[in-house]
Amino acid sequence: MTVAPERDTAAIDLPHRKDLRVRPVIDEPHRRLSNLRFPHLPSERLRSSRTSLGTGFLGIAATLVAVLFLVFDIARFADEWRGYDQPGLAALAWLLLAGLLVVLAVASRTAGDVLDSLVSLGIVGGLGVVVALDAAAVWQSGDLGNDLTAAPAAGMVLLAMVGVRSSRSITAAAGVLGLALIVLLVVSAAQNPLPAAGVVAGIAMIAKAVAPPIVAAWIVHVFRRIISTELERVLVASTTTAPRFSVGMLASEELARLDLAAEQLMDGIASGRTRLPLNPATAQAAAELATELRLHLIEGRRQTWLYHAISESELLGRAVTLSDPESLAGLLDPKQRDGLLQAVWLMLGDSPERSRRSSARVTIEITVGPARPIEGKGRTMHVPIVVQTTGVARGRVDPATWDAMRKVGRHTDSQRGGSLCVEIDCVVDRPAER
Amino acid sequence: MERILKQRDRLLGISARLVGLVCTGASLVLLVLSDPRPILLLLVLPGYAVLVFALVRIGATRAIVWPFVAVVAGLVTAVLVRLGTIGAFDGLIGVPAPFPVAPGTVDAVRLLVAGGIAAVSIVLTISLGRMIGLVAAFGATLITSVVLFSGGDPAIGVVGFSVLAAWTGLTLSGAVLSAGLLRAARRVSSIGRAHRSERQASETEAQRRQGARLLHDTVLATLTLLAHSGVGVSRDALRRQAGDDARLLRQLRLSPSPITMSAGNSDTDGSGDGLKSDSLQAVRARFERLGLDVSWHGAGTVSLRADRLDAFLLALSECLENVRRHSGVGEAHVTITDDEASVRALVTDNGVGFEPAAVPAGKLGYRESIVGRIEEAGGTARVFSAQGSGTTVVLEMPR
Repeated sequence: MTVAPERDTAAIDLPHRKDLRVRPVIDEPHRRLSNLRFPHLPSERLRSSRTSLGTGFLGIAATLVAVLFLVFDIARFADEWRGYDQPGLAALAWLLLAGLLVVLAVASRTAGDVLDSLVSLGIVGGLGVVVALDAAAVWQSGDLGNDLTAAPAAGMVLLAMVGVRSSRSITAAAGVLGLALIVLLVVSAAQNPLPAAGVVAGIAMIAKAVAPPIVAAWIVHVFRRIISTELERVLVASTTTAPRFSVGMLASEELARLDLAAEQLMDGIASGRTRLPLNPATAQAAAELATELRLHLIEGRRQTWLYHAISESELLGRAVTLSDPESLAGLLDPKQRDGLLQAVWLMLGDSPERSRRSSARVTIEITVGPARPIEGKGRTMHVPIVVQTTGVARGRVDPATWDAMRKVGRHTDSQRGGSLCVEIDCVVDRPAER
Repeated sequence: MERILKQRDRLLGISARLVGLVCTGASLVLLVLSDPRPILLLLVLPGYAVLVFALVRIGATRAIVWPFVAVVAGLVTAVLVRLGTIGAFDGLIGVPAPFPVAPGTVDAVRLLVAGGIAAVSIVLTISLGRMIGLVAAFGATLITSVVLFSGGDPAIGVVGFSVLAAWTGLTLSGAVLSAGLLRAARRVSSIGRAHRSERQASETEAQRRQGARLLHDTVLATLTLLAHSGVGVSRDALRRQAGDDARLLRQLRLSPSPITMSAGNSDTDGSGDGLKSDSLQAVRARFERLGLDVSWHGAGTVSLRADRLDAFLLALSECLENVRRHSGVGEAHVTITDDEASVRALVTDNGVGFEPAAVPAGKLGYRESIVGRIEEAGGTARVFSAQGSGTTVVLEMPR
């Protein structure tokens, strides 16, 4: 295993760290047996924090781009100063807009990578006020498409928020802004009809307000998708160094949970909180607890790294089924495992823009075994691995897939039912006879 | 690393495509709205089509030819749109261009030079060669725009500034996107390393908990008793037993070191300090409480290496548990003897007995929890029994 020397404090006091990991569950007040929750998996914790990976950095760039756009609009505003009925209101709108931008910049600097919902709602509300003020300032002229300046610029504040809020909420806010501008335009046109040029100007104004934040939100969305796929891949890749049989991240958490449940039950009885004899429900719970605990103690160690890799990954779990009755996958060395995982990832087509669609359609069935001895060699044996896909065309597979397959062993591919099927002949060390 | 570079190129390509297509589309819509002469549209449409196609390809491959095609097609289109809308092709089109020039058409050109074409700058930051291409493309676009709007059009200022600002902004965005992705990828790989050690820790933790067999055996027995509403055992005894188990589970949870050494790494110093108290005395106390009348003979303590002690006591309590549950009698005898070489325990009862050979292989209680455990730790277990004539188990564990 490679460890970054300056970072990995985990290697120094692992047991201690394990303690920390379990403690949050313990320190909660005594809960009833029936509503014991699963402790949070470490990988889940990582998943929830993944939206924040590095997008704050993108947010700074988005703010710069937003400021570039704003320079244009301010220039236009200054240019039209004389034409305003109410220049004071428009100036107020611009001041408020600038203020909101400053608040956003300060808040996202201090908040780290994710901006508080309340603050962002406040900013969006402030933008509403900006739109209202600006519309009031030019209402008399009747040509909103040409005269509104601060209102379409509100989209730029949304653009600046793109790194610190989810793409969906930015898009929604931009939609609301667009809708508000349309309503203003329609109401104004109903009062005094617009010339054709005015309609064009109005549409252009709305597009200019709404398009930049939506485009930026989409780009950040792709960015996050790439990072989260990468994260998932890295988390799953840690299985490649596991021993032949391992319990997986789930099992030790599960065992800890069961032990804790038993402890709480016993503690309750010992302290007299739980009366004896137990009521039927609690007795039933105790019986179930015993059964589960027994199962985990006896049967916890019959799964291989491949099983854990698939069951722990959201993406793989949905698309991949594994059949490995003799647990032969555990015999693959780390390099072969890495190759197999990589090939599966590539065949699933992890290109960010279509992963959701394609992972629903593409399925992969991995069959491992049965093992065959090699003539004349006592220490190694053949393990055939069949990777049967559905929905993967041979010609569309990333060339890197074949490099990855080569790491696993010699392989032949064929088309079965219009989809790729790869048979890999994998040579592994024979396990020590018992 | 190669993989992440591929992802980076993909991200940049998708971004460039998105920005470019939005701007190109907007430009076309504006043109249609402000100067809807069909022949002019026919004239410029091929240019738009090539630009759109090139932008789509930029999102799919990293080949340098597509940015190049996009720039050329975009510039040609911009020139055609501009000339067409100021009336240069009026003879060809047959319908004079509107005068004065509609502001929408100026914006259509502006969206091309400062949007549709400028989008390629996003993918032109990743290598030195591409940066040279970027400078050339920017120069060509700026010069074309200035030439197109020279001749006294007041829009030249805003167009020129737009080109400057857009190319700067998009180049910057491309650079930031790629730097941001690489940064995040580095962070992800350090998370991966942390996760790897977490997985190992989790494995160790599971081993530690699974290894604490003696403890789990008592806990399981108590749980089973509780599930049967503690029939046959006094409430007080059950409560005390539960308290003991809770204390042991607490120790298991809080003790940082492995409680039981598994058979593999017995060379560790063997201080199973988490459970020191759980020795022979604890086994005695437990069965006393459970109501089995055990007469203890011979040595009152057992001194063995931690892992062997565990296996020994585990098997011993399993024997007594079997007596309690299956023998049909309420008393048993345990004789413990030790010499320099080994420790032996003899567990006898006068109960119903059983036929050892008739126990099905899959039955866990006896083979796994007594014989298996003792043998795993290097000892031997022998069972003598027959229907109706009691049972004797001999456990032997070398020192």
